[in-house]
Amino acid sequence: MFEPQPMRKVIIAGSKDYMKIAIDAMHKHDVVHITDFVDEDEDFKIGKPHESITKLSERAVSLRSLASYLSIKGKVDIPNKYPEGAIIDTIDAKTEQLDVEVTQVTDKISEIDSKIKDINDKKRLLEPLKNFDLPLELYTGYQSLAVFVGTLKNSPIISDITDDYELETAPYGRGRTISLFVPREFEGETLKRLQEQGYAALPLPKMEGVPKEILVNLEAQLAELQSEKQKCEGDLVDLRKKHIEYILASDEYLSIETQKAEAPLRFATTKNAFIVEGWIPTKDLGLIQSDLDRATNGHVVVSVDSSEAVDVEKVPIALKNPLPSKPLEVLVRAFSLPKYNEIDPTKLMTFMYPALFGLMLGDVGYGLLVIALGLLVSRVIKSQGMRDLAKIGVYAGVFSVIFGFIFNEFFGVEPFGHRGYLTFIEYPTVTRLDNVLTLLIVTLVIGLLMLTLGYVLGFINEYRQHGLKHAVFAKVSWLMMLWGGTIAVALVLPAMSSGTGIQLSLGLIAGLVLLVVGFIFMFMGEGAIGIAELPSLLSNVLSYTRLLSIGVSSMGIALAVNKLSDALFFSKGGIFVIFGVLLLIAGHAINTVLGILDSGLQALRLHYVEFFTKFYSGGGMKYIPFGFERKYTEEK
Amino acid sequence: MVDPMGAGLVAIASAIAVGATGIAAAMGEQMIGSAAIGVMAEDEGFFGKGLVMTVIPESIVIFGLVVALILLFVTLPALG
Repeated sequence: MFEPQPMRKVIIAGSKDYMKIAIDAMHKHDVVHITDFVDEDEDFKIGKPHESITKLSERAVSLRSLASYLSIKGKVDIPNKYPEGAIIDTIDAKTEQLDVEVTQVTDKISEIDSKIKDINDKKRLLEPLKNFDLPLELYTGYQSLAVFVGTLKNSPIISDITDDYELETAPYGRGRTISLFVPREFEGETLKRLQEQGYAALPLPKMEGVPKEILVNLEAQLAELQSEKQKCEGDLVDLRKKHIEYILASDEYLSIETQKAEAPLRFATTKNAFIVEGWIPTKDLGLIQSDLDRATNGHVVVSVDSSEAVDVEKVPIALKNPLPSKPLEVLVRAFSLPKYNEIDPTKLMTFMYPALFGLMLGDVGYGLLVIALGLLVSRVIKSQGMRDLAKIGVYAGVFSVIFGFIFNEFFGVEPFGHRGYLTFIEYPTVTRLDNVLTLLIVTLVIGLLMLTLGYVLGFINEYRQHGLKHAVFAKVSWLMMLWGGTIAVALVLPAMSSGTGIQLSLGLIAGLVLLVVGFIFMFMGEGAIGIAELPSLLSNVLSYTRLLSIGVSSMGIALAVNKLSDALFFSKGGIFVIFGVLLLIAGHAINTVLGILDSGLQALRLHYVEFFTKFYSGGGMKYIPFGFERKYTEEK
Repeated sequence: MVDPMGAGLVAIASAIAVGATGIAAAMGEQMIGSAAIGVMAEDEGFFGKGLVMTVIPESIVIFGLVVALILLFVTLPALG
């Protein structure tokens, strides 16, 4: 019941002539976990990929470049699946034709882009000159005149050099642009003067006409190019819309074919035969046996390796859980997959994780919010991992609501009872702030029970893996110490705090005996190292007190938000009510996020650190069947 | 009537319990957090594990919080 999917080790062997058919059949069923063959020797060699592989990769490269031009990225939902048969025959011709169509457009776009860049370069050169009305061609080609065109901080003063000059200036940026004509003989002196004032020469574009007019002209050209480019981009969008299904489907088809063509790299082959070693879930064994037999006319055999000495480390792990427990697998996988003969804790976590979460959050309002968020995310987000987490969130929210009713909390206020708003609903509630000591003891009991369960599961695991004696020394010993210690503390502590002397009762003796015997067992099993582990027993139990303290602190924040908004805004009335509502929304939103994160992580920690360490070591290898999950194509 | 001096001392004691353990937890989380970020730079998939690892030292402040709760809700009423 708590184990992973049962697996059988199989050897699939046959004549090389039937290898392709066998690969097709295996791929179709998507159940064989192939163990890669690595130990080559004289007789057995690693297989060679099918000769079609070169062609396939070439096609894939051109198809993917098309996809990137049309900005088609994975994970697009398309309504209809493409029949595979329609791809096989036409893929070469169609991809080529598509390539031509797309390249036409993309080439045009890049041509336009280079033109646009050209125009923009010219514009940049002309921009500073746009206030001068002199045509560009008149700035150059004089023998007796020197021309300076450039930028300067202020208008230059050169009247002391010569009176015979022509100067035009215009504001530009933080300074000015100038065009200055002086007789050639003053060129050197003028340049020196200008440079002293921060002159930087402007390159003159090789064009004719008045800059302002050229600019207008260029602007018009630019607008035309831009609209042309927009049209081309529209064409690309049309192409994308028209061909997206085909491109996604052919890409998938090529991935599948490549996977099949490369499969022999994982096989052992001799001159005439091939051998595949792998694992198949027991339930699928019969189907694949009969199907391979039929497809290859009995030329390929699936034989089960039923030798006893199966190395559990090498069995691939597929978790086997009912649908409601499936989302929790993500938490188990995040820790580690179980080994083949280890208990899979997913089913237990389906109840325990949301319960611990709910106990911490414990608020009807926050619980409903978490449920709503969970439902929303599981609808909207596509990533499977996030969806699983969202579903766990829904479970957790339900428990939060249940505990919210018990604790009588709704966004930090008491909704029911004589102190609450709905005074007519009265039932026995356990408010957290009034029952700190009681709830503290409850959390410790929860811790005790969870650790006990952990040790019991650990006993089962150890018994299966190493036998009874080891299981007693490794797990029963700790269980005895846990309960012996608990009994002793439960009897001694009240006596000590109330000041009455410690009575040597039967219970106390029993507790102490358990403690000592457990310690001896532990010492026999684990030696001195076990002693170093002893304090962790206490800290593990105490660790469960977080179930109360996280809850109380989250409640404290909610309380503070309510009190603050009341004292600062609601009590003043009028317009302040709006601010009060805003503060309430923001405060409770932040507290919801904190509550989800903290309750979620701390509940997870109580599982990973306190609970799992008692029985679970994990380290299983993931079951990856040879096959493909088709999204865009249908099998022929 | 609770002795105001005693009540004040209890309140200060609980504040120290939470404050000091908070600093200690922060020091632990700082070290683990920066290491976790380092691992994530290599492998994004470590995010979940890194997050869980990072909250492990939070036990310290939670123990502090429990002490504070006991002080405020068990010890303080017992005084009066």
